[in-house]
Amino acid sequence: MSGTKLNILPVPTFRWLGVNGAERDTDGLAAKELAIAAKPGEKRTSLLWIDSEGITDVKITVPEGAAVKLVEVFDVPGQAVSKVTAELGDSAAFELVQLYLGGDTVSEAVIGLNGRRSSFTADIGYMLGGQDKLDLNLIANHTGRKTLSQINAKGVLDGDAVKTFKGTIDFKNGASGAKGSEKEDVLLMSGSAVNKTVPLILCAEDDVEGSHGASIGRIDEREVFYMQTRGIPEEKICELAALGKLRQILSKIGDEDTVIRINKRLGRGEEDE
Amino acid sequence: MKEKTQVADVDRSRYDFRYAENEGDFLDSGITPDIIFEISEEKNDPDWMREFRLKSLEIYNRTPMVNWGPDTEGLDVDRIVTYIRQKNRMNTDWNDVPEDIKETFEKLGIPQAERESLAGVGAQYDSELVYHNVRKEVAESGVVYTDLESAMHDPKYAGLIKSHFMKLVPPTDHKFAALHGAVWSGGSFVYVPKNVHLDIPLQSYFRLNAKGAGQFEHTLIILEEGSYLHFIEGCSAPKYFEAALHAGCVELYVGKGAKLRYSTIENWSKNMYNLNTKRALVQENGQIEWVSGSFGSHVSYLYPMSILNGRGARAEFTGITFAGEGQNLDTGAKIVHNAPDTSSYMSTKSISKSGGVSTFRSAVVVNENAAGSKSSVNCESLMLDSISRSDTVPVMDIRTEKCDIGHEAKIGRISDETVFYLMSRGLSEEQARAMIVRGFADNVSKELPLEYAVEMNNLIGLEMQGSIG
Repeated sequence: MSGTKLNILPVPTFRWLGVNGAERDTDGLAAKELAIAAKPGEKRTSLLWIDSEGITDVKITVPEGAAVKLVEVFDVPGQAVSKVTAELGDSAAFELVQLYLGGDTVSEAVIGLNGRRSSFTADIGYMLGGQDKLDLNLIANHTGRKTLSQINAKGVLDGDAVKTFKGTIDFKNGASGAKGSEKEDVLLMSGSAVNKTVPLILCAEDDVEGSHGASIGRIDEREVFYMQTRGIPEEKICELAALGKLRQILSKIGDEDTVIRINKRLGRGEEDE
Repeated sequence: MKEKTQVADVDRSRYDFRYAENEGDFLDSGITPDIIFEISEEKNDPDWMREFRLKSLEIYNRTPMVNWGPDTEGLDVDRIVTYIRQKNRMNTDWNDVPEDIKETFEKLGIPQAERESLAGVGAQYDSELVYHNVRKEVAESGVVYTDLESAMHDPKYAGLIKSHFMKLVPPTDHKFAALHGAVWSGGSFVYVPKNVHLDIPLQSYFRLNAKGAGQFEHTLIILEEGSYLHFIEGCSAPKYFEAALHAGCVELYVGKGAKLRYSTIENWSKNMYNLNTKRALVQENGQIEWVSGSFGSHVSYLYPMSILNGRGARAEFTGITFAGEGQNLDTGAKIVHNAPDTSSYMSTKSISKSGGVSTFRSAVVVNENAAGSKSSVNCESLMLDSISRSDTVPVMDIRTEKCDIGHEAKIGRISDETVFYLMSRGLSEEQARAMIVRGFADNVSKELPLEYAVEMNNLIGLEMQGSIG
């Protein structure tokens, strides 16, 4: 195994926690490159459904006034490596929606908020179980003034799934007036699943506002009690809670066929469409 | 042009005095087996301790430097003097302490604090304890508060020391834990028997006077079931141009239902590399409370760790870090939930100014066997200018579904809206900004004994000036 080190944490921390990088054997994985270059003022959406092993490298340029949305659904039975790089001009907007439904995925997104008033939003969802593994590394580099980033991650871990979410908001010197926030909400449904959450804020500018929050745990007992009083059995409550986590992410996809396909994949059939 | 609020650096003039040392009392610099033998000889170590030191040296030599924190390139350990002989034996009568040392501690207010508010005091000067005393009624309750070397030679405690010394922080933990194991000297041993409550605190004060030296004191505290102790630790040093090193080690054993509050005001000089390791093991329904103020040193790596090993054990960490010019302070805490129904709460504040770098770094680990555990982490950072830096690097590693873990962090500058609100209530802009910065540090100062809270306010030494409009 060659053990390529991927998803390097921008500021490393205690080695024993095993979050400074993700080592994977990428030899033999087919690589696919994709370039998305919007025109100034253009609005466009790209959708990728990734269901086979390989490396996906997406390079995005969002010039002045343009808005690009990238939706990626990962449903790979084996190993997947993903990298998204985006460079944003003045008043440009980039929206990233990612959904992970299984496999062993290492995924990184590095966003350069270079232009004044450029913005980045990320909505990340995952539903993992069995032996699934997911290592996520999102980095929002604020270099432009009055830039904005918002990262939301939500997901469910069952079985022996192992997930690491690393989200970095990096306010570079000169990014005055920038704002960044990130939040992760994790529902744990198994005693053998492993969740690692690593929300970084790096700050070299005083005139900024940054925040992060994380909430990790089981279903709220009050919610369970409420639903039980409505006659819903416990297994159904767990399923509802899990799907509830993903609903917000699904609502961001904006493509009906893709949502139907995801619901079918999750065993929801027609009932949730 | 609008003038920004100015917050003064920590006023260190009270600590920057020094006395000449006799260099004949210094062992050679560097870390070699010969130095280890010499230290061991000086201290009349039992055989097991001499072997422990040599084993630690081996570990030190093969362990790489940490590669994830602040830069330590300015620290050449081979040039650090690891041990300085004391001409006089440790005293229990203040009048017997040598004049220059006595004057040092009097300037720092230690004897006055002992008279007014402490149950016992230990004072370390360079490598050795020079004074240790405990009130008669405290000693009569069975509490032991002495230097570690004396305890190690006392048949009543020798076994206890051997079975606990560097068991929580083994020399294999990291390079400077290994260095500590090899050259440690001084420090305190505290033993609180079952169900004994010490209502007034014990305090150890560590002073490093010598140039180019290191201090490697070891603090070992054992609280038996149902006992209570508040232990205060203070440290300072005068400033030199040569790098100095503090690689102390604190091991705390908190028994069933016992409670230990461990308060530290760290005010080393700005040539100090503070690479200190602190760890607590907490048994069933026991409680550890850390209160930590980091103001001094050039570089700090400091993350007190709590291992919650018994059902219902609790940990609290309250900390403040103030990084000014030339300082890179990497501080935080680590908590491991290793038993059911354990809980932890972490609240930290950091302030960066004049090019100072402050990093909050934490780890909360909830193991498979910690069902029913809860943890809440809250950290806030205040940037006072754009030449400084403030980073937040928390990690949560959760391995059971039956837990509730929350984390919140905020970073920013003084809010204009808050200043406006306070001004609408009749405060001037200067008063409003001063109030906000003082209020920011309030969660720590209110956790400290009064005299330390006052000391902390003196340390911050706020000096506000601003222009209106």
